[in-house]
Amino acid sequence: MFLQTQGITKEFGKLRAVNQVSLDIRKGDIHAIIGPNGAGKSTYFNLITGYHQATSGKVLFKGEEITHLPAYRRCKHGITRSFQITSIFPKFTVYESVLMGLLSHRGVTLSFFSASKKFFKEEVYRILEDVGLADQADTLGDSISHGDKKRLELGITLGTEPELLLLDEPTCGMSPEETESTMIFIRKLVEEKGLTILFTEHDMSVVFGIAKRISVLHQGTLIADGKPDEVRANDEVQKIYLGGTA
Amino acid sequence: MSFDILFNQFMSGIARASLLFLVASGLSLTFGVLRVLNFAHGSLYMLGAFVTYSIWKGLLIPVVGFYIATFLAALVMGGIGIIIEFFLLRRLYARGWPEQLLVTYALVLIITDLVKLGWGGEFLSIPRPVPFKGAVSLFGFPFPSYNFFVILLGLALVIFLWWLVYRTRIGDIIRAAAHDREMVAALGIPIPWLFTWIFVLGAMIAGLSGGVAGPYGAIALGMDIEIIVECFAVVVIGGMGSLPGTLLGSFIVGQVYAFGIMFKPELALAFIFMVMAAVLIIRPWGIFGRPER
Amino acid sequence: MVIQKMEQNESMVKRGWWLILLLAGAIIAPHVISDFYLVILIEALIMSLFALSFNLLFGYMGQLSFGQAAFYGLGGYTVAMLITKVNFNFWLSLLAGVGVAGFVGLIVGFFCVRLRGIYFAVLTLAFGQLLFVIIYKWHDFTGGDDGIQGVFPPGILKIPIVYYYFVLLVFIASAFILWRIVNSPFGHTLKAMRENPERTEFLGIHIARYQLITFVIAAAFAGLAGALWVPFYRSVAPFYLMWIKSGEPVMAAILGGASTFFGPVLGMFIMTFIHAYILGFTHFWPIIMGTIILIIIFALPGGILEFAKVKLKERQERMKSAKGSP
Repeated sequence: MFLQTQGITKEFGKLRAVNQVSLDIRKGDIHAIIGPNGAGKSTYFNLITGYHQATSGKVLFKGEEITHLPAYRRCKHGITRSFQITSIFPKFTVYESVLMGLLSHRGVTLSFFSASKKFFKEEVYRILEDVGLADQADTLGDSISHGDKKRLELGITLGTEPELLLLDEPTCGMSPEETESTMIFIRKLVEEKGLTILFTEHDMSVVFGIAKRISVLHQGTLIADGKPDEVRANDEVQKIYLGGTA
Repeated sequence: MSFDILFNQFMSGIARASLLFLVASGLSLTFGVLRVLNFAHGSLYMLGAFVTYSIWKGLLIPVVGFYIATFLAALVMGGIGIIIEFFLLRRLYARGWPEQLLVTYALVLIITDLVKLGWGGEFLSIPRPVPFKGAVSLFGFPFPSYNFFVILLGLALVIFLWWLVYRTRIGDIIRAAAHDREMVAALGIPIPWLFTWIFVLGAMIAGLSGGVAGPYGAIALGMDIEIIVECFAVVVIGGMGSLPGTLLGSFIVGQVYAFGIMFKPELALAFIFMVMAAVLIIRPWGIFGRPER
Repeated sequence: MVIQKMEQNESMVKRGWWLILLLAGAIIAPHVISDFYLVILIEALIMSLFALSFNLLFGYMGQLSFGQAAFYGLGGYTVAMLITKVNFNFWLSLLAGVGVAGFVGLIVGFFCVRLRGIYFAVLTLAFGQLLFVIIYKWHDFTGGDDGIQGVFPPGILKIPIVYYYFVLLVFIASAFILWRIVNSPFGHTLKAMRENPERTEFLGIHIARYQLITFVIAAAFAGLAGALWVPFYRSVAPFYLMWIKSGEPVMAAILGGASTFFGPVLGMFIMTFIHAYILGFTHFWPIIMGTIILIIIFALPGGILEFAKVKLKERQERMKSAKGSP
């Protein structure tokens, strides 16, 4: 099993944000976590990234337990994330930003005397081509457009050459065209590079457009998990999204 | 070691804690609301002491002269607080904290020299005022009765600040602002106005404590840094911006100092920093502090 | 692409010329200035090294240390005590000064890197004052407030001009090493932590470890600066560790520009020479420094070098657009 959570639970004081969620994420899948606001999907997401530590339960990655590993160690195992509120390096050029991920992943960040410019030129440009930012390589991170920033962050995460990429609301704040091209890009990543993607998203057209598997959380509990069609047909999901019980 | 010596030491620790609380509470209040660490808080304290001295000397009123002088000095510091907040800090809220810290650091340098210019370099002192002139006997040891005045004043300030922070509308805003500034602004509370008055209140508390410190110790150049470094220890131990934290921090620092002096006088201050380091290992944000993310 | 390359090379050549000019100036300088200003020049060089060590933390790692003088003072005390008390070899004493500062930096840094921003500033200040108090009060071991006198360098290093060239050599070597560090992958990681610690952590970087390494490097170079100064000045005193000394590199960095490598050096040269000049007729130096800080913060945010860089860029851009339009 690629990524597995076993009865994972997170409590904030008395509030149980994630309740006994057991879930398998298969290699090569595009897997969406959805649910209404406050369903616990970002908490669940953050239990996997290491932003939060689980109260109980286990997280296994390729059979190895990573439940209590700090975030930076998970990254070394091949799990990298993006943030909902775009998180880039404002005063780095686009090139320098992507370089950071590569330096970290290839384990050369403790080299003190060689010029960082000389490292991984080809790899950086390949990623920049992939995310479509090659022509802006020397532009500062905070002076590119919002959609480009989202793509830059994706490029930064790709620098760490992840096996599992966790995307927190990848199309949040994007125009319809940008959303479309991001979806195509995500699909391409999985097909060409064999990545596995786990993402949260509230735009249902994106979710049903690219996800191969969907898990639905409601009030911290997993209520449905399966192929898009199965989830769409699920009574409980129907009730939550359409029935107006909320 | 007998109980009476320990008790005497404990009481002088309480007096010191009380003075520390007087100063540190203003620092902590300002930080809690404005998120500006006022390096010059100790300088306002020192200036307050010198101003109190001059007013006391000029008034020549027996008995109440000192109290009036201290009160007026607090007002003067409040006025200086308005100037600092309005002309300097206000322009920097949009910039980063390093600039804010550096501006207050510049004020430390400027006020030091202004005091040197105005009062010269020598030590000044104010005799203990009536009715706290003498000493009382605590288990046979003399204990300056002025220390009781300092302790009482500290208690009064605790009660006042507790009332202000937890029992008034302004207090609701103060606590909300410490928690989430945008939220308060969104609720339509004029933040600049609040900031000015909180800063002025902090400056007045600094001036008042400076005045009170006069008869407690000596009035001299250098008392600004001595107190601000101890206050930093207090707020780091207790948690910056927290009223109960400042109270507990003052208590700890006061006691460690009092007993440290008994044990090895040269290293009393070093003991304080060791306690601070110990607290930081367990709780990097101080005992009552909140981690910031 | 090709044009860009050429422009880059051109600016590198330009920078190279500047450095050669500066170096030539530094070599000739002691022969054209008075003995008094030679002393000031040596002080400026040593303090510049101190400022560079500070700016590794402030400008590159993004953390403001208000206790950097503690390491400067420790370096100085180590040399002074080894030379006067046990008649230790001068060169090994210098190394020991660097080592002691670095080692204490490791201990202090262990606590400080747990905190960021204003908390980091307060904690470094507190630790700096702690070390100051220990040296100040530990009379039997350190000489207390009397300090230590009679610290002499060996042989011809006693001649100021020789010592000047020695300091110049050490300064150039240190600046070169620091320059390589900030432009290395490690330096890139430092800057990334400054820009966005959270993003960096989630790229697999253990922030505290990198900050601790940087803290130790900065402490070691500050120690080197102190170790160089004390044998030249022949004495050391506790105030070398004090907060007011820690404030000097802070001011040099904001004066010259913390975002540029040589900004703190420029700032320190300006400060040291103004200081020497002003002391001729007034001892109210703090008020002048305070005023300079206020002026810089309100009128020249970013410091002199940053200001010059922006102006230069504007001019280049104007020229480019003038060339571009027919």
